[in-house]
Amino acid sequence: MSNPHFWEELRSQKWSGNLSMAAGKIRLDVNPKNYRDVLAFLEKSRAILLTMAGTDERPINGNFGVYTVFYFPDAKEILEIALSIEEEELRYPSATPIFASAHWLEREIRDMLGIIPDGHPDLRRLAVHPDWPEGLFPLRKDFVTGTKVPRVEGQIDFCTVEGEGIYQIPVGPIHAGIIEPGHFRFYAFGEDVINLQAQLFYTHRGIEKEAEGKHFSNVMLIAERICGACSVSHALAYAQAVESLTQAEIPERAKVLRTILSEMERLYNHIGDIGNMCAGIGFALGISRGAILKEKIMRQNMNLFGHRYLRGTIIPGGVKKDLPEQDLCSWLDDTEAELKQLTDLILSSNGLLERMQTTGVLHYEDAWALGAVGPAARAAGLDRDLRRDLPYAAYQELSMRVPLQQDGDVYCRLLQRIEECGVTFDLLRQALNILPQGELSAEITELPPYQTALGWTESARGANVHWIMSGENNTIYRYMVRSASHCNWPVLPLCVPGNIVPDFPLINKSFELCYACLDR
Amino acid sequence: MGLNDYGWLMIQGMLLLLFSPLVNGIIKKVKARIQRRVGPSILQSYRDVIKFLKREAVTSYHTSWITSVTPYVCFSAYFVAGSMIPLWRSISTSDVIVFIYLFALARFFLALSALEPASAFGGMGSSREMMIATLVEPVLVLGLFGMVAFVGTTDLGILTGAGQNPAGIFAFIGLLLVTVAETGRIPVDNPDTHLELTMVHEGMLLEYSGRQLGLLHLAAMVKQTILLVLLVQLFFPAPIISAPWFFLLLAVKVVFLGFILALIESTNVKMRLFRLPELLVGGAVFCIISIFMKFF
Repeated sequence: MSNPHFWEELRSQKWSGNLSMAAGKIRLDVNPKNYRDVLAFLEKSRAILLTMAGTDERPINGNFGVYTVFYFPDAKEILEIALSIEEEELRYPSATPIFASAHWLEREIRDMLGIIPDGHPDLRRLAVHPDWPEGLFPLRKDFVTGTKVPRVEGQIDFCTVEGEGIYQIPVGPIHAGIIEPGHFRFYAFGEDVINLQAQLFYTHRGIEKEAEGKHFSNVMLIAERICGACSVSHALAYAQAVESLTQAEIPERAKVLRTILSEMERLYNHIGDIGNMCAGIGFALGISRGAILKEKIMRQNMNLFGHRYLRGTIIPGGVKKDLPEQDLCSWLDDTEAELKQLTDLILSSNGLLERMQTTGVLHYEDAWALGAVGPAARAAGLDRDLRRDLPYAAYQELSMRVPLQQDGDVYCRLLQRIEECGVTFDLLRQALNILPQGELSAEITELPPYQTALGWTESARGANVHWIMSGENNTIYRYMVRSASHCNWPVLPLCVPGNIVPDFPLINKSFELCYACLDR
Repeated sequence: MGLNDYGWLMIQGMLLLLFSPLVNGIIKKVKARIQRRVGPSILQSYRDVIKFLKREAVTSYHTSWITSVTPYVCFSAYFVAGSMIPLWRSISTSDVIVFIYLFALARFFLALSALEPASAFGGMGSSREMMIATLVEPVLVLGLFGMVAFVGTTDLGILTGAGQNPAGIFAFIGLLLVTVAETGRIPVDNPDTHLELTMVHEGMLLEYSGRQLGLLHLAAMVKQTILLVLLVQLFFPAPIISAPWFFLLLAVKVVFLGFILALIESTNVKMRLFRLPELLVGGAVFCIISIFMKFF
């Protein structure tokens, strides 16, 4: 925040009565009537929305809750706005007119808990499809898991485009490749896309509901399995949320090991994505070379930590697997040289430049307004990286550069990933250098009940933010996962109009969005 | 042309039919090796076709006779076109224009049948195929007419070796581009794509299944072999020696051209759809140069 007098100004507002410090963040309890004023104030101080969670707290205090979490990158501080909403009311002023990045979060809260954001511009169903009956809210405490829900008649409501020569192309939800389900509706004039809408959330797994009432160490297993390619990132975000509720001191060695794990995950993801982007343009040599290099890294993961996707490595309180004594530095040098060969091969192709440049442009303004994250946002010049903005694990002790691109097209997203691989190699070397001896984990036995906490990581796709509320007997009362793909999916349809239909797979691949991260 | 010659041409067509899945298999294998994959066996295309031919075809209720007739039309058009290229014996067969129109006939029916079930991908496939066809056909016509200009006849049977002169180099480049485009290969189309939105040829086959799909796959492979054989016969014909040696030499040359196709495909990137005219107009220019070289 650019204003040094921010907190004084905030305290001087009439709504600032309940300011408290808990679990590494500042919490502000606000009457829903004043919510808009608070948001307007935060918008002026350039706060960035991290996540929003709705809760059913009727068994505790008879009300529903809506929590909005912001962070200030300059001050490295987190602010949680807590609203308590009475059951008779079930409404609160929508944050979307001020923070557009809240629009999916609010729709999801409405779908899952039935709390209505007043003044939200688009209240169509999102997470729950129209064939789900009205008035049934899966995340409310009185909804029992496993209930057989009858299907009702319902049509997905797309905004239509009409005119002579304009036709619709429905694609999906089942696709030709082995990918997850998602429906895309194109409106095209010849080959030119005029409008694209995506209907996602096809395979809702009820992960957040499943976590409720479980012991916090069991939820760890669930967190790890939210997404295959972000196992470490999700596990770490959850572990950090749990840890922030306790006084546990995480051993230094564990912190550095967590950094190494996160960067290894980023490495295989980025290299896999670089290869995959070649698939979008049919560049067979790039695809196979990328796949070979990714496989090498995953085998190294297996060799070092016993799992190709690095599962089972992180536990609340530290890490479970130690790094064996091995000469990793020379392996890093070899891998970096191989990556250099691959990227030289890819970037030397004129056809590739021709396909990628000016394709699928994400404008800085859109990225800012919708809160884009990760390489996609940085490729559009939006300078956000939680490893630097809100350092966790051992990132505080490492020096890192955040590369940025300006144009926001597919080519920039490719370059961004290539440059970030360079940063990752650098971080891994630094981390190996400073790796201290010592314990692997601290014991966590007790969670204070009914406290909220936040954990975050910068995954290969961007910020993964886990918000938890603890319950009695060390259980989780409510678990809300906001993944990087949740932030970036709404951004994708903005980049497609103006391009031609056959370029969509390339644009889609350049974002590398995850369906499973939405279907929590 | 006597009855004997017709018999010979039939045998020739059957040989093309028999060996075209092998040519396809070899191209696939070469591509896989370039990508450092083991790749399927070179006989895999036979297995695929046999598998499809054994299966029942499922068609949409909304389709008419066009859909059921198209696989046979395509297949016979290419079979006849394949029989027309003189291989071992230089005999007067048929006009080049008939050859070109047999290709057009197959394409017309395929594009029509893809529109019929009214699925989004079929429509996109046909509209793109037709756009590409308007660019490919002139190049094919010009390339063949370059040969015609040199030999002085439009009889395909006499054209063997017509490209063995300086002008032939240009015509060869033009016709090689035609081959790449007609076989649905990168940079024009991607034969093994699963990306529905970028498909051209595969998009038109989407609604076909079983026997009909097998026949269409076979037709596409025959077409590919015809084009390769045509290139060999026009530009690098083998001397007329005893039949077994002749066919062996021909096969080696066709496979070599297949290598070149695989190489082009592996090292290039699929072009943006609306950049294709630039590529194919380039091909047309080469063919026109070859025609002019005759007169100046």
